[in-house]
Amino acid sequence: MKFSYQWISSLVDGLGNVVEPRELMRLITMKTAECEGLEEAGALLANATPAEVLVVEPIEGSHNRKAVVRTIAYGEKTVVCGAANCRVGLWTMYAPIGIKKISGVESDGMLASGRELGINRDHEGILELSKPELGLQPDWVIEVDNKSLTHRPDLWGHYGMAREVSAITGKPLRDPVDMALLPAASAEPVKRVAIGDFTLCPRYSGLVFENVTVQPSPLWLQYRLEAAGLNPINNIVDVTNYVLAELAQPMHAFDADKLRGDTIFVRNAGNGEKIVALNKEEYELDDTNLVIADAGGAIAIAGVIGGDESAIGDGTTRIVLESACFNATSVRKTAAKIKNRTDASMRFEKSQDPENTVRGLARAVALLQEVSPGIRLVGGLIDSYQPLPKVAPIVLSTEWVQRKLGHPVAAAEIKRILEALQFGVSNGEQPGEFIVEVPSWRATKDISLREDLVEEIGRMIGYGEMTPTAPLVPSVVPPANPTREFHHHLRDLVAAQGYTEAYNYSFLSDETIAEFGLAAQQPIRVLNPIASDQAYLRTSLVPRIVNNIRENRKHFETFRLFEIGHEIHRNTEGLPTETPHLAAAFFAKDGDGSAGLFELKRLASCIVPGIEVRPCDALPYEHPARAAELFADGTRVGRLFELHPSMVEAGRAAILDLDLAAAETLSHGRKIQYKPLRRFPTSAFDLSVVTGERTLVGEIEAGLRAYATANVTAIEFQRQYSGPPLAAGQKSVSYRITVGAADRTLSSAEVSAVRDAIIEGMRSRGYELRV
Amino acid sequence: MEAEQLLSGLRQSALDRIAAAASLDDLEPLRVEVLGRNGALAGVSKDFKKLTPEDRARIGKLLNEVKQAVESAFEARKAGFETAALNARLDAEWLDLTLPASGVRPGALHPVTRIQREIEELFVSLGFTVLDGPEVETEVNNFDALNIPPTHPARDMQDTFWLEGGNLLRTHTSPVQVRGMRKLGPPLRMIAPGRVFRNEEVDASHEHTFYQLEGMMIDRDVSVTNLIYFMKTLLSSIFKREVTVRLRPGYFPFVEPGFELDIQCLICGGPGCPVCKHSGWVELLPCGLVHPNVLQMSGIDPKEWNGFAFGLGLTRLAMMRYQIDDIRQLQGGDLRFLNQFTA
Repeated sequence: MKFSYQWISSLVDGLGNVVEPRELMRLITMKTAECEGLEEAGALLANATPAEVLVVEPIEGSHNRKAVVRTIAYGEKTVVCGAANCRVGLWTMYAPIGIKKISGVESDGMLASGRELGINRDHEGILELSKPELGLQPDWVIEVDNKSLTHRPDLWGHYGMAREVSAITGKPLRDPVDMALLPAASAEPVKRVAIGDFTLCPRYSGLVFENVTVQPSPLWLQYRLEAAGLNPINNIVDVTNYVLAELAQPMHAFDADKLRGDTIFVRNAGNGEKIVALNKEEYELDDTNLVIADAGGAIAIAGVIGGDESAIGDGTTRIVLESACFNATSVRKTAAKIKNRTDASMRFEKSQDPENTVRGLARAVALLQEVSPGIRLVGGLIDSYQPLPKVAPIVLSTEWVQRKLGHPVAAAEIKRILEALQFGVSNGEQPGEFIVEVPSWRATKDISLREDLVEEIGRMIGYGEMTPTAPLVPSVVPPANPTREFHHHLRDLVAAQGYTEAYNYSFLSDETIAEFGLAAQQPIRVLNPIASDQAYLRTSLVPRIVNNIRENRKHFETFRLFEIGHEIHRNTEGLPTETPHLAAAFFAKDGDGSAGLFELKRLASCIVPGIEVRPCDALPYEHPARAAELFADGTRVGRLFELHPSMVEAGRAAILDLDLAAAETLSHGRKIQYKPLRRFPTSAFDLSVVTGERTLVGEIEAGLRAYATANVTAIEFQRQYSGPPLAAGQKSVSYRITVGAADRTLSSAEVSAVRDAIIEGMRSRGYELRV
Repeated sequence: MEAEQLLSGLRQSALDRIAAAASLDDLEPLRVEVLGRNGALAGVSKDFKKLTPEDRARIGKLLNEVKQAVESAFEARKAGFETAALNARLDAEWLDLTLPASGVRPGALHPVTRIQREIEELFVSLGFTVLDGPEVETEVNNFDALNIPPTHPARDMQDTFWLEGGNLLRTHTSPVQVRGMRKLGPPLRMIAPGRVFRNEEVDASHEHTFYQLEGMMIDRDVSVTNLIYFMKTLLSSIFKREVTVRLRPGYFPFVEPGFELDIQCLICGGPGCPVCKHSGWVELLPCGLVHPNVLQMSGIDPKEWNGFAFGLGLTRLAMMRYQIDDIRQLQGGDLRFLNQFTA
């Protein structure tokens, strides 16, 4: 929202020369709403002066012409001008911008267009004055962040902001509205209004005028609109926009002669009802959209945009001026549906004040009399109104305000601030207690609670005035979050092992789901993705990790990375299940791939002690002979695999995917129990098991453990070997087995018995033993 | 006198030979020959019984002197050889310790992880608990329970990713407030860092996935000045220096009054620079006193309890801390970027 400094100054007495634009901007930011920028408007006006064109001569070989002008401030000047409307006798504006050679002629200054002067958007020719004076000065435009005005319908007009400025500076507010200009209450309106649903349109007011002259607005009015970011069109439309920018009351003017019948209907559109709007677009509506209609059909989309058919044109002589209040949600939805958020709809969607419609009309009467001389009111005020429920007066105690702010504020100060903002303040039953009446323009949704009033008081005092204070609360140890602590611990552990943490998106694309064969998991679909790679929620961290591998492979020969994030799995009801996972990857350009797999196996066992690897059927993206599930205490905790060679070029990638919910449970369940140190020596013997090359070492070890008696204290893998003298397809796996007892040294016979039992057992399983 | 001459000769020849020894190997036979059980000095003592008692005492004393002199010369020479041998070995073991270390170099933690942990630790030390919430949320927790009803224009302010089944990707960490209030009840001090989503186009300064840290304190009497105190403490700790903050009105449906907190630009210190868009201030976090409707909807009586809440943009903070100029780097997984954050 753009605010003109001059416009605000015209509504706050004595502001103009006292509070500079930049300081005003700071005050508004600190006390009301965030200002985003300050720009000078009409900069050329500072030194520009009216000038009469005395002579116009062609310049050979140029479309430009040489003109001699008589200026009011600088005497006679010769300038080069390209405008077609530069003609002898014309009063225009001269700006002294220095001497420049144009088309071979020295031009001392320039004749300026409306756009160059910041008055309007006209750049067809130079500005035409009806008399030898302009009377406009450079202005400053303060841009306020629209988001910070979301809750303030009143601040969508200069008068509302002027009220704030008046409260901030203590300077008197000047109301531009003269209600006496409205027709006498006894006058009969010439149009009737039929409102179908007052919740959608609490109030519809209007006036009819005749003897209208449609022409350009005076330049001062165009200049004001331009500063507020509105495009001057003609005097009638400009007046409606002026009232919109001043009082935040959107208005619309219909050509009265183009309306059919004498009743204005405010009704829901029919499904499929069409209307061509002022912007020449045709919109198809449905019954959730509110329209203004006459006997022949829709003439405007309520609160959003007028219809083209009944628009003001050069030939218009009678107008119906609409000043209504529409339901915020309804207007917001309609504007969103037709994808046209207009200056009017932006205001209505903030919940405008129904009391404001007639004020808008009174203001318009004054302006129309100035811009369309001879205009006459026809009949009385059209007004159909069902007032909104009133906001109950708020009881406010000074003591409570002080506690909320943590700042000592006097009762008198509270009263002063609220009254400056035009709240009604009367004394309550208790000392220091007030009964506060909320003004209509703050009551539509902004203020209904005493907390809302704390904000009014706090911001006007200024939070910078308040001393930061530590609260007086008991000191307690906060409840722990073991899951988060576990994840933090893992991050440290995994990073220390050389893995770098990446963050990846929570989304998957259709292509990724197909490539990784994830369709069976039925990933949850995003209904409104902007890009195709946001179509689904991830049910696995692996696809994005694979993408990381593919990208980083271009820059590194070997690397390690990991991510901790949520897998999101569909549930038939309620929220999906989000399972934290750790995905870690090792990529190496060279090597047979085993180093990465065993490194990740080691990493997994650092995280979940006693982890067990069970080879399993590979998923589509896994190397079919290098995929395993990870178990601990019989619970599945993840997968370890090499990425299928077709998924990555020129190198091998090992990936570990751990379910951290399962891992956390296991790591919490682990109890450490001290055992006394052994006092008696142990002894050890080696065994080699000869078996087929693809027999799993894990199976051999499980066999050894199965036949180990209580006296076996350790079974340690030593090495595996294949090659001569072993037959082809055979391997030998060696173990060192340690035996001992807590209470004595075992005899050699006892040790032999242990050894024999293992050998016999293993042989019964079909293994050949080398002893 | 023979014995004396003999001893003196023995002494001289032994000392000469010790001095002349070239190695430890030369020394050992000499020891056996002179000092050994059957050595020359032992031979002299065998002849003792032939001597008169007077001679015996005198020669005995002399014999001891010679023995000590030879032994000490021997030990000194031996130690000399050993020291030399050790020195030679140590010198031969010269090692270039500037060679690169073996094993894997440590990886890096994500910049957002790093900053998030700092803030978590700070708040835990101030008695706040750290809570988690899901990334997929209900419409109720994300909007309604935060005083953002379906008709509220604030829902337009946040571009939401909607999911089949009616849920959504949380647009802020504020729903964890709701979860925290329901789970723990008052009094409550909590923070909730996490991933949030907004449905918008990605460019150098906009992301659809980013990180926030929500904070909330509920107690009997929590005031605006308490809020300012915590925010100042937080920011001074993050930036490791005193920071100047300003609080100005801001509108968020779940707080009343609501504020925007700005810090004085750390780059220019106030006069204005491109980083602060020449305003001297950088907008950092929205905050406010918890709206009574929000307390009520989470089962807390606003007549008894009140509190403050704030939302910190972790992504933005990480970008400020490390001067990251392209937000896309954070979700890009590029190790050339990520490896810069090695501890």
